Amino acid sequence: MPASSESITLEGDLHARPAGALAVAAGRFAAAVSVTAGTRTVDAKSVLGVLGLGATSGQRVTVSADGPDAAEAVAALIAILGDATRVGG
Amino acid sequence: MAQVAPQVGIVLVSHSARLAEGAADLAAQVGGGTVTVLAAGGTDDGGLGTSADKVARALARAETGAGVLVLPDLGSAVLTVRALLADLTGASVVLADAPFVEGAVAATVTAAAGADLTAVAKAAEEAWHARKL
Repeated sequence: MPASSESITLEGDLHARPAGALAVAAGRFAAAVSVTAGTRTVDAKSVLGVLGLGATSGQRVTVSADGPDAAEAVAALIAILGDATRVGG
Repeated sequence: MAQVAPQVGIVLVSHSARLAEGAADLAAQVGGGTVTVLAAGGTDDGGLGTSADKVARALARAETGAGVLVLPDLGSAVLTVRALLADLTGASVVLADAPFVEGAVAATVTAAAGADLTAVAKAAEEAWHARKL
């Protein structure tokens, strides 16, 4: 199965609403998707896991996926992290 | 966004109308606003307690074809829901054993992603294991 990974530097804190948007988007992909911030890696499909990262503005976050739609999943989640953390919430 | 398939609905049963409404509002917003999350809190006269009628109405409204997950806050809310479910034949309703706020948020987000009732219930119950710190 193809694997894919990409990183982004957050422009805002990863609050509840962007974390929700991330987990909703991740849940629509067949691939297993994870998010890593610092030393912690969580299931991107778990909003509570993503919130538990406590990722903050300026932090480097990596999205990794493994599965048939891994590349699409990583692209979608990186886009959400880029947009949503600018808005906050 | 248009939904091609029905989503699991969520019903929050609390002793407090305001607690249920606040939790429903939070869960719905974190889930992106596509999932039906309904509050059934307080007694029929607005006091603290649970109302079988309020829960029954919420269950009916939350069902859009994919089933309904019910989250109770404390003990007697569980009793109210259980008594109601015993009389509901053929309904696709699952009572979740989950933390109220975290379970509601996790279930709503999972429902928003299009998961089935079993997966939505599992997401709620896995909320016991999510650390905040």
